[in-house]
Amino acid sequence: MIQLSKNYSLPERQEGFIPIKIVSIGGAGLNALDRIVLDGLERADAVAINTDVQSLASSVAAHKVQLGRSVTRGLGAGGDPELGYQAAVESADEIREALADARMIFICAGLGGGTGSGAAPYVAQLAREAGSLVVAFATLPFAFEGKRRGAQAREALARFNEIANAVICFENDQIGDMVAPKAGIHQAFATADIMISQSVRSIVKLIQRPGLIRIGFDDLLAALRSRNGRCLFGFGESDSDNRAHDALAQALKNPLMDRGRMLADAARVLVQVAGGPGMTLSEVEILMQELGRHVNEQTQILFGTAVDGRMGDRLSVTIISSLAADEDSPGQSSAPAMPVWGQSQDASPKIDVEPEPTRVDAPQPAEAIPIEEQAPGETAPPLAAPVLNKTEPRLITPQTKPAPTKEERPSSAKNVQAKQEILQFEPVTRGRFEKSEPTIVEGEDLDVPTYLRKNIKVK
Amino acid sequence: MASSNLMIGLEIGTSKICVVVGEGRPDGAIKILGVGQTPSRGVRKGEIVDFETAMKCVHEAVVDAEQKSDVMIRSVYVAVAGSHLQSFNNRGCVMLPEDRDEIDEQDIEDVKISAREVSIPAQNAFLHSIIQHYHVEGQDGVLNPVGMLGHKLEADFHIIHGVRTRIQNTIRCVKELPLDVEDVVFGALASAQVVLTQHQKDLGALVIDIGGGTTDYILYADGVVKQSGCLAVGGDHITNDISMGLRIPMARAEKLKIEEGSCVLGNCLPGETILLKDDSGFAGKEIERETLNTIIHLRLQENLELLKRRLEEEPFINYLGAGIFVTGGCSLLNGIDHLAQEIFAMPAHVAHAQTASGLTSAVENPQFSTAIGLIKYAQAVQTDRPRRRFGRIFGKFFSGMR
Repeated sequence: MIQLSKNYSLPERQEGFIPIKIVSIGGAGLNALDRIVLDGLERADAVAINTDVQSLASSVAAHKVQLGRSVTRGLGAGGDPELGYQAAVESADEIREALADARMIFICAGLGGGTGSGAAPYVAQLAREAGSLVVAFATLPFAFEGKRRGAQAREALARFNEIANAVICFENDQIGDMVAPKAGIHQAFATADIMISQSVRSIVKLIQRPGLIRIGFDDLLAALRSRNGRCLFGFGESDSDNRAHDALAQALKNPLMDRGRMLADAARVLVQVAGGPGMTLSEVEILMQELGRHVNEQTQILFGTAVDGRMGDRLSVTIISSLAADEDSPGQSSAPAMPVWGQSQDASPKIDVEPEPTRVDAPQPAEAIPIEEQAPGETAPPLAAPVLNKTEPRLITPQTKPAPTKEERPSSAKNVQAKQEILQFEPVTRGRFEKSEPTIVEGEDLDVPTYLRKNIKVK
Repeated sequence: MASSNLMIGLEIGTSKICVVVGEGRPDGAIKILGVGQTPSRGVRKGEIVDFETAMKCVHEAVVDAEQKSDVMIRSVYVAVAGSHLQSFNNRGCVMLPEDRDEIDEQDIEDVKISAREVSIPAQNAFLHSIIQHYHVEGQDGVLNPVGMLGHKLEADFHIIHGVRTRIQNTIRCVKELPLDVEDVVFGALASAQVVLTQHQKDLGALVIDIGGGTTDYILYADGVVKQSGCLAVGGDHITNDISMGLRIPMARAEKLKIEEGSCVLGNCLPGETILLKDDSGFAGKEIERETLNTIIHLRLQENLELLKRRLEEEPFINYLGAGIFVTGGCSLLNGIDHLAQEIFAMPAHVAHAQTASGLTSAVENPQFSTAIGLIKYAQAVQTDRPRRRFGRIFGKFFSGMR
């Protein structure tokens, strides 16, 4: 064990931060960005892009880009995506400049409007051309905003799906459900901003945070791989006595999670558990077991954990997954995964841990290139760094995932045995009331059929 | 304001969850605007056993009601049941200070508190304190003592209490949705509001609400509640008995009970059979009608006899002038009124909500008695409140009217 912890601590020190930029486009995007910056953003730069000078001026972002100086003349795009697109084309050079030097770019945009729907996909394209990885956070408008706006939003979303490496889509209608019916409208929109802020920040943290079991961008991509799919995202944080349970419950409460019901169909689920130095293995174990109840047995869990001194007593859980509109890859990707599980189930986990030192030698910059290749071709990447990152979650998944199944089988067998024993002793059964509180009146258990108690033969 | 007299009753029953949206008319009548219901899951014997599932069902029922009535539901009156509910009659007493001899609203509150000063189990909470009669200086049968002169005010209350946490479970289930809970009402008390007329209450009547998981009862004599309670035996038990006795699945047994069941014996031809059609996963079966009826009869007979023994602990059962009113889903069983009549030796009727207009099809089903009763109860409470706010002069006027 002591040797192990040495191995774990080594790579942390060598890790540099991946340059990340958070780019928000359009009015809704700017609101979200303000929220992200105000909530506290670490190790990432914020860039605000808009056609409307006024909203740009009030943004708290450090770096601002005005689109379409001559096309829109500092006004908004007026809900016309075509105008938004033209404005972005006009300012293409400035955008490129703003996007430079980022390995990873998060684009936030509220789809449906002019700038958000028109310019944002173009910005994503420029970002991809500059060689960055692009994750898009998009919000779809409320249904009451009209069908036209909804159609524009869906069109833009389709473009995003083509361009970006991953798209996380929030439906405002869904978020509206979270807000109490009596809450003010600003609160409803604020909730949407908070949701985006929470997810952006937790994903930035997820990637930047040095982890005991690190989650890389490849894992994130794997979890979000299903194209045109529905993104499941949940984040929970708690510092209560029962923080593991509370954090997970909170994460599952997220509207994009549908109380964990959606998770059952997901092929891959990315889970990161982060906590202060006080986080214990048993807490993580409890949490993962609890989560295990929500996911399918075939689901591949990409597990990561990190210890962050700044977390204090808090423990946070981030769950990311996606549901495919037409899932075709689970067989493909889980097939190579299964043998690894099988081996590690037979062998002791220590053997899997041994490749650790080689990972230390693996050069960090190698990461970006293989991921790029991996994104389109959905097979396991052959290159060193991602492979190592890949094996990490698998190395731990056998510990977390198969553990409950291993325990469950004997316990269920035990249950069956126990039931049989009880049946031998109990002369009459209570049928459907077996598990409920017995109704005993005047010394008789009324849940047992009357004809049985009165010894009346009915046949 | 139009929305202020909108009232919503929610009953989380063992077999179904139903939401009734009603509107109070100025003339005291109620109009049913819509009824939403879903089959209930996660509820046993009138109490929630699977919180998440039950919550989901309640949500579905609420959405259903919202769609049917085109009303946004924000707050509801909730009915509760469960074997933990208990009741007793108690008398409270207050003495007015020497320098004052006119009884006012505050004294009424004080006497209510005084009546509650009895020991109930520590984990229990009061659900209802229903006023029966006031006594002023030994004068009996005072209905409203506000404004009367006297030094000694006594009041008889019928007090219903239950385990606090178990009542709270129901409330929490609704609050998580999130809906506001206006009030929590004992199911049979709500049913009685619409099943009985004031005249029948005065004559004396017993309401037996046999639902899916519980049998709730409430006894009125002299126009006031004298006895009430809940027995955790209901239609589910009948279904369970049938399922076990005939060895058929629960779902089949439930259907059989509803379609063919009867609790009258000796009413069918010897050897008469019912053919159960085969279904996916269920091979067809032929069963004897008499067997089915015997199972149902035995269960209901036992249930009603138990009830009778409970009621006989106090003398009020002898004061029932109007007879017995059976309501709730199980009252749809053929012959249940005859059985009750036989056991209690007094007239028994199957009854449904009487005093509502609007969706008549909903009103005429005894399954909805409780939920509709909640609306009647809500109306009674709501009309009561503003009157109190008007203060003593108005109160005096009212008492003068009586």
